[in-house]
Amino acid sequence: MAAGGLADFATGLVSPSVRLGVTGLSRAGKTVFITALVHTLLKGGRVPAFEAMAQGRIIRCYLEPQPDDTLARFGYESHLAALSGKDRHWPESTSRISQLRITAEYEPRGLIARNFGSGKLHIDIVDYPGEWLLDLPLMQMSFAEWSAATVAASRVAPRLAMAEEWHRMLASLDPLAPADEQQAIAAAAVFTAYLARCRKDDVSLSTLPPGRFLMPGDFAGSPLLAFSPLGIPPSTELPRRSLGALMQRRYDSYVATIVKPFFFGHFARLDRQIVLVDTLTALNAGAGAVNDLQHALTQILTCFRQGSNSVVSSLFGRRIDRILFAATKADLLHHTSHDKLENILKLIVEEAMTRAEYAGAEIDAAALAAIRATREASVKQKGETLECIAGIPLAGETLGASNFDGETEAAIFPGDLPAEAHGALDGSLAGSLRFIRFRPPLMKDGAFPHIRLDRAMEFLLGDRFA
Amino acid sequence: MTEGQRTPKAFVIDEPKPQAKTAEPAKRKPRAITGITFEPEPDDMALLVVPPKPPAPSRSMRWGGILLGALASLVSLWAGLAVTQLVEEFFARSAVLGWLALGVAAIAGLAALAIIFREVWALARLSRIEHIQADAAHALNTDDSSTAKRAVAQLQSLYAARADARLGLQDLKQYNADIIDGRDRVKLAERHLVSPRDDEAHRIIAHAARRVTLLTTVTPTAALDILLVAALNLRMMREVATLYGGRPSLLATLRLARMVLGHLAVTGGLALSDNLLQHVVGKGLLGRLSARLGEGAVNGILTARVGLAARDVCRPIPQETSAKETLGSLIRELVSEAGELKTE
Repeated sequence: MAAGGLADFATGLVSPSVRLGVTGLSRAGKTVFITALVHTLLKGGRVPAFEAMAQGRIIRCYLEPQPDDTLARFGYESHLAALSGKDRHWPESTSRISQLRITAEYEPRGLIARNFGSGKLHIDIVDYPGEWLLDLPLMQMSFAEWSAATVAASRVAPRLAMAEEWHRMLASLDPLAPADEQQAIAAAAVFTAYLARCRKDDVSLSTLPPGRFLMPGDFAGSPLLAFSPLGIPPSTELPRRSLGALMQRRYDSYVATIVKPFFFGHFARLDRQIVLVDTLTALNAGAGAVNDLQHALTQILTCFRQGSNSVVSSLFGRRIDRILFAATKADLLHHTSHDKLENILKLIVEEAMTRAEYAGAEIDAAALAAIRATREASVKQKGETLECIAGIPLAGETLGASNFDGETEAAIFPGDLPAEAHGALDGSLAGSLRFIRFRPPLMKDGAFPHIRLDRAMEFLLGDRFA
Repeated sequence: MTEGQRTPKAFVIDEPKPQAKTAEPAKRKPRAITGITFEPEPDDMALLVVPPKPPAPSRSMRWGGILLGALASLVSLWAGLAVTQLVEEFFARSAVLGWLALGVAAIAGLAALAIIFREVWALARLSRIEHIQADAAHALNTDDSSTAKRAVAQLQSLYAARADARLGLQDLKQYNADIIDGRDRVKLAERHLVSPRDDEAHRIIAHAARRVTLLTTVTPTAALDILLVAALNLRMMREVATLYGGRPSLLATLRLARMVLGHLAVTGGLALSDNLLQHVVGKGLLGRLSARLGEGAVNGILTARVGLAARDVCRPIPQETSAKETLGSLIRELVSEAGELKTE
């Protein structure tokens, strides 16, 4: 890692680059955010708060050929095609890691930079399945610890109802019995089914490691994924050749050969980070989901190196010096509720935020919609004015007695967010909120409408265009 | 036991109210409304364009004020009497002359009213700029979007009639309905309406400083110096105020001058380093070349400082980031000019 840092420092002297980490669990909107960001940089748009672009100092941006030959290129063009046209739809969930490098030519502001700087900035962005992020906390856990934590979590609501089949399987497994490959595979399959059930829309739980079980990528069917937690206390000595020892070995190699390379290859050298949090889907599913989201994010974010950079730290592995926490899909709410959404977000990431701020990183929180699918409207009904959002709900969405076919436009009043952010965590909201997903909007003047994407760009990249 | 001994006590300052539950409004159910036609949201910016009233003078009545007021009313009474008498005398002599005199007096009265109205308006405008400044600073500090909207709307109406702001206003208008946070909205308005004027302000200040330097160097007597410097400084202040949207008339200029002096006094911390600089420039290098030129440079620096203070007072959005235009750059400009002056 130190060598990588040194190499980064050396190349940074010649051609400055910024590695932007787009962090977010699955379905938080990473792909849409990256697509919208790249599209805005390439084609421009209404970005009044992104000063370098609003002042016209960015001369042009273009996509570089993929610098890393071993990584897939981020399919910007195909995602853009999916989001536009008559059959527009949100991109499919990401199943593998991909990368994109954008180069921006700009006019530096300072006298020295204008005369001696290159006026070029490379922006590297990595997209990956959000499920894999869940693996990061595993780096600090042993197999027995992880087993105990997973089993304990599955014994309380709301997971208890989902875990019935797996609990039966768990009872039939004897960790000390001789290892049996078929048994391990069957246990892994049942455990995966349990994780998948926990992820469904009506529960929307987030803490579901190991991530490759839900999104295997290139490892589908590999023995690396043939293990599952066992009902053992955190400090158990497992005899050799037992089932437990087999599971433990696989867990250890899962961490060593999948998790660690993923983390050190892509996350250990970030400059800037945006943490996308799908607060609204969690609120839809209830307080259990919000609490779980908070737990997952807190665990994941402790893995990142955050803080201000010094000369030494920029030589030996950089730190993340700016972090933006963003509550995505803010377009599902009227803008008068955005402050409340921001407060709920701040509560969810409170621990991570405090830690980052203490380490010296600059932090900010915002309600964001990289692509804004709705407009705002107010509806007067029975003497009260409802602040609504209007758009075309996705086919299959329902609210009360209304079923949507994906063609008709509707105004939605999603309910009142709690005035006190703690209301989102204590379960007092049950059933009083309902957020409907909308179809992507049509482009206007070649750009997508958005909410605060420009503010995010200014915070994450603005100072690098100085 | 002494008489003054008191026992410790505790006071509950604000007793928490027991029924907090009832105050909370009922949660509204989510619902979908279909089969309706959409009307565009009303632009609530339109509601906020009421110019704020100038703050009422809070000073208590003083004897000096009463004396001045009484004297002023006495003088105006006397003037009214004199004019009436004059007109009557003219009427006594001939009706034509009388009507003529009455007409002239009416015109004079009208002009006086117009001047008074203009003064009041100019003062109101100045205090409006102050209000915008306060709102903008609040919005920049707290990221509060309602204050920012108010400040930007005020700024837009302040510049509404100016031809040189038309482009900026047009650009800004398209973002009115967008969801933008407070800080960003103020910065946006600054970029479109205020920043384009900063270069011109720099030019005005530098120009005034140069003229002061030159005139101090060539004027023969010290008394004339003082008059010239004061006049040029006042003129520069008025120019800067006009540039940023004020309409300085007589009273407004005096008030502006007072505000500028107040600002200079508040930012006195800056003056320490200046004094050092003045020492070097005035008594040192330039002073060696010529004593008059050294004095001129010192006066020029003073003018530049007054100009920067005037800019701080008049700029509707407080300068936050791009404080490039510092005293240093102005002085450098000035000194190089002065050097050229000497060699010529």
